[in-house]
Amino acid sequence: MLDIRRISTSRWWHKRKNWILFAIFLFLVFVRISKGSLYKDFYYFISKPFWPGQFQKEVILQSSEQESLIELNLLKKDNKRLREILNLQQSSNTNTISAAVISRKTGSWWRQITLNKGSKDGVEIGSCVIGPGGLLGRVSSTSFFTSSVILLTSPESKVGVWLDRIQINGLLIGSGDDYPNLIVYSKDTDIKVGDFVSSSPASTLLPPNIPIGIVKSIDKPSKAKKTAKILLLAKPQAIDWVQILKVKS
Amino acid sequence: MNKFFKKKLSIICFIFVPIIFLWHPNWLGFLGIQPYWPLFWLLPWSMINGSINGLIFGFFLGLILDSLTLESSFTQIPGLILCGIWFGRIRIHSDIFVGHFRYGLICFLGSLLCGTLYFAQILVKNFSDSNFLLFITSVQNILAEVFLTGFFAPLICSQLLRLFKFSREKSIIINLAKK
Repeated sequence: MLDIRRISTSRWWHKRKNWILFAIFLFLVFVRISKGSLYKDFYYFISKPFWPGQFQKEVILQSSEQESLIELNLLKKDNKRLREILNLQQSSNTNTISAAVISRKTGSWWRQITLNKGSKDGVEIGSCVIGPGGLLGRVSSTSFFTSSVILLTSPESKVGVWLDRIQINGLLIGSGDDYPNLIVYSKDTDIKVGDFVSSSPASTLLPPNIPIGIVKSIDKPSKAKKTAKILLLAKPQAIDWVQILKVKS
Repeated sequence: MNKFFKKKLSIICFIFVPIIFLWHPNWLGFLGIQPYWPLFWLLPWSMINGSINGLIFGFFLGLILDSLTLESSFTQIPGLILCGIWFGRIRIHSDIFVGHFRYGLICFLGSLLCGTLYFAQILVKNFSDSNFLLFITSVQNILAEVFLTGFFAPLICSQLLRLFKFSREKSIIINLAKK
């Protein structure tokens, strides 16, 4: 009897060492499932002091900046030459006027902003207005001191846009809500949510390559066209200062 | 000067309608949409001065507001004229409490009429492009505007009606005194 009692009191789960082994096993299983993410993060912290130094980083950044600048200048020259050949709008950042938003109607049917610069400051009808994020709209009327900008969300706004990923032109139509509609006149176009939309390089109204927005949702294709809702990058309801790009003919 | 202000209070308020329309105070809005401000002035004015005056000033308001908005193809004039005529036919209720809620309901229906007429113009203009279905989402503009107009009308219209009545009585007294 005594023997039996002694055996029953010495089961494996009564030993602390076994539990420790089991915990280690569980930990290793976790490491395996998480594909070693814990190890990698740990390695990140312990290897931090041995990373390539700040000096090396600066040297690399400087040379890469120089490379980008040279490349940019070459592309600008090339772009200007090609635009002159095609007789399209010139893009220029030097001819800008900064203006403050003094009135804004960003809801309801009337989607417009009024700026504190007018014909006195050289603002012309048709000038393009950009804010932090990208294109806001075009100047539709000017007074001596103010100018009114029709926003891209207004039901009267229609601009040509460019989808860079699939290299296709489309039409951006405001519909009176916060998300204007993109219409592409081709049923088989491969538009995807998240595609970037910019002003069309072929447009005669707007300067090329100004960011506009990203595709938010795609509607079902109908007849010979595809429509999508666009989320604008520039938020007119929050912007206080904008840049007016002068029209260059 | 003081007499002039008291006499012409309704006209002075009329000047402020386009200003508040341009000002567009966002903190009073809902979903970025504002109440339809011109109705708050047009209702008491038409109730006191009748349908013909309502029609004329509805037209004037429409002209001014159209000049402030950039949409040249659409107009607010038909809605405001119809509201002006309708508001002129409404009698002032003796019970103040009922009156307050009546203003809310009247402005609610008035802004629904104006919003629907404006929306109809957009649809008709774009009907030929076969893109008109894209504009259906903007129905939320009408709904939000109607709700806000109906919500604020009892507060604003009753005060304006009181002021206009007071200024009208003043001007009558002044005219009688002159005679």
